[in-house]
Amino acid sequence: MARVVFDHVYKRFGDTEAVADLDIDIEDKEFLVFVGPSGCGKSTSLRMLAGLEEISEGRIIIGDRVVNNVPPKDRDIAMVFQSYALYPHMTVYDNIAFGLRLRKTPKQIIDERVKETSDSLGIGHLLDRRPRQLSGGQRQRVAVARAIVREPAVFLMDEPLSNLDAKLRVEARAFISKLHQRLGTTFIYVTHDQIEAMTMGTRIAVLNAGRLQQIDSPTNLYNYPANKFVAGFIGSPSMNFFDAMLKESGGRMTVDLGFTELEIPADRTDRYRDHVGSRVTFGLRPEDIHHPDFPPQGVIPQMVMADVDVIELMGNEKIVYLKNDDIVYLARMDPRSDVRVGLETGTLFNMANVHLFDEQTGETL
Amino acid sequence: MLRYEQRMVLRKQFQAGLTYLILTIFLLVALLPFTGIVLTSFKERRELRDSPFSLPEEWKWDNYEDAWTGARFSTYFKSSVYVVVPVVVIAIILSTMSGFGFGMYKFRGDNILLFIIMLGLMVPFEAVIIPLWQLMGQLGIRDTYWALILPQVALSFSFGTFWMRANFKNIPTEIVDAAVVDGCSMWGVLWRILFPLSRPALVSLVVLLFMWTWNEFFLILVMASGDLRTLPVGLALLRGRYASDVPVMAAGSVMVLLPVLVIYVLFQRQFIRGMISGAVKS
Repeated sequence: MARVVFDHVYKRFGDTEAVADLDIDIEDKEFLVFVGPSGCGKSTSLRMLAGLEEISEGRIIIGDRVVNNVPPKDRDIAMVFQSYALYPHMTVYDNIAFGLRLRKTPKQIIDERVKETSDSLGIGHLLDRRPRQLSGGQRQRVAVARAIVREPAVFLMDEPLSNLDAKLRVEARAFISKLHQRLGTTFIYVTHDQIEAMTMGTRIAVLNAGRLQQIDSPTNLYNYPANKFVAGFIGSPSMNFFDAMLKESGGRMTVDLGFTELEIPADRTDRYRDHVGSRVTFGLRPEDIHHPDFPPQGVIPQMVMADVDVIELMGNEKIVYLKNDDIVYLARMDPRSDVRVGLETGTLFNMANVHLFDEQTGETL
Repeated sequence: MLRYEQRMVLRKQFQAGLTYLILTIFLLVALLPFTGIVLTSFKERRELRDSPFSLPEEWKWDNYEDAWTGARFSTYFKSSVYVVVPVVVIAIILSTMSGFGFGMYKFRGDNILLFIIMLGLMVPFEAVIIPLWQLMGQLGIRDTYWALILPQVALSFSFGTFWMRANFKNIPTEIVDAAVVDGCSMWGVLWRILFPLSRPALVSLVVLLFMWTWNEFFLILVMASGDLRTLPVGLALLRGRYASDVPVMAAGSVMVLLPVLVIYVLFQRQFIRGMISGAVKS
């Protein structure tokens, strides 16, 4: 069993609180992703779990043991680092076998396990090479092999794909997901890339400024963000935010964006009633703004006219920068949409997926 | 009119020729005194009337024999080895360990401690030689090899710590973290991972410490007498006994500088790599 618990964990560097009150229960065999911007405390959390960083307050539990004072080698963990951290003076074989040798594993078993692991990762033919003779993708696999050969209870991965090019990264994402399915071990993965988090994690913990913002499944994070930060961080391109005023008159609840007024769908009005008359932040994802010629099914459309500022043709879609007064926002449109820079176009806002946030606290209403 | 490409080729050839010319001049300036000493060491005294750079009439080893036995260079050579080997070995071990501590860890008072160690580099040796002489007397080790070895270990340790700290700071900390997670102890990290990775820096340090210790004159002159004297002091003594025998003195000079030269040539490639490591992204 490799359940991992962060029990109200704090990490302080002098007066700076790098991680504050981190309280997470990670189930056995789960793939949890820590995601957040640089300096949010995600790597520090992972390093505390690995035993590479001391805990200022709280407890970390692996399995049934509190590991606060257990050295890294006795925590039954393995880690893959951002730079892979292969030992440059050793061959691939020695890199993979290093941890087993330190544990005084019999030579024959080391040999069997190194060969079996390297073959399963497609690097069996590279065992005699040194790290400098390998490509980025091969190095990454050696780093993974070094971690899995020890058959640890928990895998820790600290941005292991950030040194790969875009194409290789996509392949490596699938490779790590498959590895998780095959090994059935607890994976804890750190990344700043929300696409990695969304595609790989069974749950995602979003951190900002050392604090946990939300922990949930990728779908729930995307559809039901707990606050404006999570809403803006998850999704690419980011959610559009508009300063707005929530109004109600004549049985209609509307949100006034300044350049237009949009009606809130009837099934949401009860939820927002307490905030009528308040200033709010109105959020709508680029994929919920459509061209009138290509409205998807199931939307609750409202027409908004806007000037086209910039168009980025991505092949399968058009990212259109729209402008109303001085407010710029993005729409993800069908590539066939007839929009031209400098000309006005009609757009459909899908009100079924509207998000409203408290202007002061940023919490979802 | 020459075509543009031809002019460019000519310009490149001219620049290359000029570079070689300047380098050759500097090479000659650097090598001339050395060549003069080597040639003189094979000559007889009467041949010195000719140019110092003329070849000897006959290549004979007599001057070397005179220096080795008559001027007791064999004794001084042995003494040099007895001093240099322990100094280099002890200083390398201590410098590696302290460089590891200062380079890889943050701890309370680390900067102050490093500054104190660096004083060994800043304070001129002449300023401490008299108290050092007294101290060695009080310890009862004056005129023993310890009096020659311990101060030089201390001096080398300052530079060695500075050198190895810089080297360890250049090694990515993730490699150390990986080794710790793999199960290495602190000593394991140092000897299994960092030590092999630091080979160029270590070789450079060995060459530099060997050179400085081998050539040390002042300390030996003050602390040692008789058979404890090393080659540089022995060479200075030649001026008294063999003042008029320049070829023997030249042979002595060659014997002093030859080991340094051999060490340098043997480790030249690693030495240069160590000296420039960290200058460019690897």
